[in-house]
Amino acid sequence: MAAAAVNGMSQPEMAMLPDTKVRFERVALPHLDAAYNLARWLTRNDEDAADVVQDAYLRALRYFDSFRGDDAGSARVWLLAIVRNTCFSWMEKNRRPEMVALEEESLGQDDGAGPRLYEVDTRHDEPESRLLAAADAAMLDRAIESLPPVFREVIVMRELEDLSYKEISGVTGVALGTVMSRLSRGRQLLRQALSQLDRAA
Amino acid sequence: MSEDQELSAALKTRATYHQAPPALRESLRAAVQASGPASHPTAAAPRTARRPAAWNPMQWWSAGAAFAFGLILAIGVVLGLGSAGWLPANGSSGQSIADQAVAGHVRSLMASHLADVASTDQHTVKPWFNGKLDFSPPVTDLASEGYPLTGGRLDYLDRRPVAALVYRRHAHPINLFVWPQAGGDETVTSRSEQGYHVLQWRHAGMRFVAVSDVNAEELAAFADLIKQHDS
Repeated sequence: MAAAAVNGMSQPEMAMLPDTKVRFERVALPHLDAAYNLARWLTRNDEDAADVVQDAYLRALRYFDSFRGDDAGSARVWLLAIVRNTCFSWMEKNRRPEMVALEEESLGQDDGAGPRLYEVDTRHDEPESRLLAAADAAMLDRAIESLPPVFREVIVMRELEDLSYKEISGVTGVALGTVMSRLSRGRQLLRQALSQLDRAA
Repeated sequence: MSEDQELSAALKTRATYHQAPPALRESLRAAVQASGPASHPTAAAPRTARRPAAWNPMQWWSAGAAFAFGLILAIGVVLGLGSAGWLPANGSSGQSIADQAVAGHVRSLMASHLADVASTDQHTVKPWFNGKLDFSPPVTDLASEGYPLTGGRLDYLDRRPVAALVYRRHAHPINLFVWPQAGGDETVTSRSEQGYHVLQWRHAGMRFVAVSDVNAEELAAFADLIKQHDS
């Protein structure tokens, strides 16, 4: 059928049986909230998040045969990895000035040498607890949104999605140690952003 | 608590968890069913503009209408969050209504204190509130629709006593909090808190907040049923 060629569908997909779709829905749909939450935080708007999630799910369906997991946890990691990669492709295509620094390498390492793009303010002029108590939802959201994507994604997966370091490593494809250092750096940047928002308020 | 734990707690309880709009779920189902050989749309219009090149227009348009509806709904949900519904109506600076409702739900399960009046009969539950509240909550049994009423109790939300009606979906309890609130009708908005789904809406001068660990679709169906019977 000509439409298949137009769609660029692979042979396995052409042979896809109805029960594959049923199985896919059973495995993948329970993680839709997790998928949307990650995509929404990465794209930072509803419409693009919905687009990306839909694209990611159709990709996941195409590669469903290659999914070997047998529990909800591994299905979530597998699916979020596809969502995450779809998001990053989307960000590459829709590159905006503030999104240029997708990799932390360009943000400078914690080697204490040289100027960094994102300087961490270590002068805490007020107690952490007071700052956090004063931070309402809007402020926390803005602070998360201000993080560069590689830090934003680990914060969202760890704090909002409750994923383990190992699961985050599975989703992002980076080493466990890198996940931990990004998380720790992400928290530092988040505190800095909160403190700036607090001063501005 | 360490600084990291404090930050964690603040993010978990107060940062926004973006729940998938129900319409996205529907359009996804449609897109999944439409993919593959079973049903190629023949009269698919070309997609225009901003879709990245890698996207597949044929599959996409098979779910086009549902999807457009999804976007409208998604925007509506986000706008809805800003309106009074998710904020304490009495201007308290404390927890949001959703937080309070989830706390009430969890407390009712922990203390085995789900119901003060345990009855599946709406004509027993409704009069039980007489004299305990300054309003009469709408009580409907939805057993025939798969959501049996199991009882009611008093709870305290938004700085006032409210009616808590307890329903069940399979093994999952649903708490429906009801209290009078001035203002026009509001459509259902949804949110996830600590693994629970929270739906709320306003109808005929009453604020309704439903909390449960059932899946989002079943809770949405429950809200629809309550609204229908309340009309």
